[in-house]
Amino acid sequence: MKKIIVENLRYRYPLTKELALKDISFEVEKGEFVSIIGRNSAGKSTLCQALTGLIPYFYHGAYGGRVIVDGIEVGKADISQLVSKVGIVFQNPFTQVTGSKLTVYEEIAFGLENMGVSRDEMRKRIDYSLKLLDIYRFRDRNPFELSGGQMQRMAIASIIAMRPEIIVLDEPTSQLDPQGSEEVFKAIRSLSKEGMTIILVEHKIEKVAKYSNRVMLLYDGELVDFDVPHKVFSRDDLGDYGVEPPAFTQICKGLNIKDKETGLYPITLEEAYDLVVKADE
Amino acid sequence: MSNIEVRDLHFSYNVGEEILKGINLEFDGRSTAIIGQNGAGKTTFVKLLKGLLKPTSGDVSIKGINTKDTTVAGLAKHIGLVFQNPNDQIFKSKVLDEVIFGPLNIGQKENTARTNSMNALKMVGLSAQSGENPYDLSLSARKLISIASILAMDTEIVIFDEPTIAQDYTGRQNIGNIIKTLRNQGKLVLTIIHDMDFVAEIFERTLVFSQGKVLLDGSTREVYSHYKELYSAYLEPPHVTQLCQKLGYKDTFLTVDEFVEFKRKQI
Amino acid sequence: MKSLSLYQEKNTLIHKFDPISKLFYIVAAIAIPIIIPTKTMALFCLAVSVALLLLGRVFGRVIPIISFSFFVLLSIIVVQGLFYYGNSTPIFHAGPLAFYKEGLTYALHICIRVVNILCAFAILILTTRPSDLIESLVRRGLSPRIGYVLSSVLQIIPQMSSTMDTITDAQRSRGMETEGKLLTRIKSFFPLIGPVVMNSLINTKERAMALEVRGFNSKAQKTFLNEEFNPPYNLFVKLFLAASIVFAAAWRIFI
Repeated sequence: MKKIIVENLRYRYPLTKELALKDISFEVEKGEFVSIIGRNSAGKSTLCQALTGLIPYFYHGAYGGRVIVDGIEVGKADISQLVSKVGIVFQNPFTQVTGSKLTVYEEIAFGLENMGVSRDEMRKRIDYSLKLLDIYRFRDRNPFELSGGQMQRMAIASIIAMRPEIIVLDEPTSQLDPQGSEEVFKAIRSLSKEGMTIILVEHKIEKVAKYSNRVMLLYDGELVDFDVPHKVFSRDDLGDYGVEPPAFTQICKGLNIKDKETGLYPITLEEAYDLVVKADE
Repeated sequence: MSNIEVRDLHFSYNVGEEILKGINLEFDGRSTAIIGQNGAGKTTFVKLLKGLLKPTSGDVSIKGINTKDTTVAGLAKHIGLVFQNPNDQIFKSKVLDEVIFGPLNIGQKENTARTNSMNALKMVGLSAQSGENPYDLSLSARKLISIASILAMDTEIVIFDEPTIAQDYTGRQNIGNIIKTLRNQGKLVLTIIHDMDFVAEIFERTLVFSQGKVLLDGSTREVYSHYKELYSAYLEPPHVTQLCQKLGYKDTFLTVDEFVEFKRKQI
Repeated sequence: MKSLSLYQEKNTLIHKFDPISKLFYIVAAIAIPIIIPTKTMALFCLAVSVALLLLGRVFGRVIPIISFSFFVLLSIIVVQGLFYYGNSTPIFHAGPLAFYKEGLTYALHICIRVVNILCAFAILILTTRPSDLIESLVRRGLSPRIGYVLSSVLQIIPQMSSTMDTITDAQRSRGMETEGKLLTRIKSFFPLIGPVVMNSLINTKERAMALEVRGFNSKAQKTFLNEEFNPPYNLFVKLFLAASIVFAAAWRIFI
């Protein structure tokens, strides 16, 4: 079954003249890891908000087309139906801390209390999330005492405790140091291994290349390309869309070193290494 | 006389928890990147340079002036600091007013301040928006405004705190060009940053901070060849450097263009 | 960074009573001295409050709270001592002003009642975790949204102080003086307050979105992670306090 179906999605924020999303259509399979790339103001965050129901519930405005997640049409559903289908993690770890709970454990319970989950079920889910995100040892700490990377993992844990099968992450490592970023990417990989469908907005293009099944390129509210990473990064016109391919791809483009079978450029360190070594022979 | 001299600098916020454990550095004129994981003392160090904090022991001298002998406002003429979050400083309702705030504070005359501000806005590409409200513009634009507000102060030393955070490719190019222009103007540019590729492209010297001490200090090329030390400080060299290391090259390559040119010459 | 609270972490009997019982106590402490307005009753109630504070081992913390209201109490004593309508017996003179026995006695009565009420509130505030109090109220029908606002404010306000520091640093870096003459300090208000307000608004909006996706506006019946620790003696205490008020009213009407 298609996990996400987007049909002719159009959206304009209130009090603006331009469409932020212009007739976007695509489908995502269950368990896929999709990354969205594009320059700032391309519509990436807007699309994330539309997938989760924040558009049109939190951001009103002109909305057209359909978004269907896990069989439910976002535009017609109640947002409380959606929180157990699709979750979202934002850039700023600090503003995702509710502030009303004194321990990490209780913080993760917040969403479950709102949804009316039973106490035993709550405990099971919180333990599971804490362990999956490798923050079990912080469960009794005050949320505000965590580092950026730990706080962001707590935000992810809080969302997956609500058992959505789709998780959207909008630049989750933007404000983190390298170690924090690495911790979060490791966490996202664990989620992917558990079979979750992942939508990730990222500027760290080498990470995108490493983990994604498919890459979506947005520009000016339009969907320019949605394909496997090798095809997207082998395009010649990425610069026109304000995006750069991974450094490894750039090197091979500069040296015109392609995979002989596919005609595409490498996108990871290992692939580039193999091809350069072969080319030298 | 070097621009900045740091002698045996120690700093603690609370007794018993030393953040900086004896730093000795001299900054000549080379653009310098300060890298290291969070908590290593980079931000504290930069605040001590700026005079926002005073050393627990040791000395920091900016152009011969000891930071202990003067106020922050007094040093502001010589050393500017662009903070990470533009929302932490923007308070005027017009872009130009925001940019001219600093120059007026440090004693520039109205005309000079205005000229410097318009030049600064030109440098960041926001001349056309000088009359607009900063909060009507995007976050990237506000970042550029905060940069312009420091450039307009025309200080000999400019420090950036994480200039490329949340920037896209074009934004990074833009900021890279601004820093190159400052270098060409003869200014000393320092930055705290996590983006290794950006450092490799733009900065001549790199300092690696780890646990309150300077772990590595040298030209960027030299520092990025010390893989073991970098990994121990939870840092990775730029992607190009990593590929070349794996390919077995003795030389350290910093940028894609550098390596591509080298290989083309080989052929 | 700590959260804003006067709670004293101890393990006494008073700490074990639930927050609602303590709220009942506050009501009783206000109502009973009004229903039976004799000085004896006022003193008795005050003695009970003090005894509870001593049992909770928080009596020492009450002194600052009482001294906070010192000037109010002093002004009551002075005003009533001088101008109470039933004044007739002067006790002492301060220059040309005469202080009367009736007024001073009346003032003393008022002070005892005020201090009693302060002590009753102190029993609640010093021996109850704010989060427990708020959760008890939400369990009994307080809107969860109001409960959230109350409990989050206690942690978020201290967090704002570090943002405040960064903002001050940023403006000082641009040559703004914050120390010195009063005029200088006043001038530094706007460059500081603007970013504080904007940051708070931006953070509030982001937090509202984060709450939304955690089901904050869900209409489902809310559940609670923590079990409510509500042993039978709490009910007994509440009944006892309610009965005291009724008994006092009966006493007043019939005796």
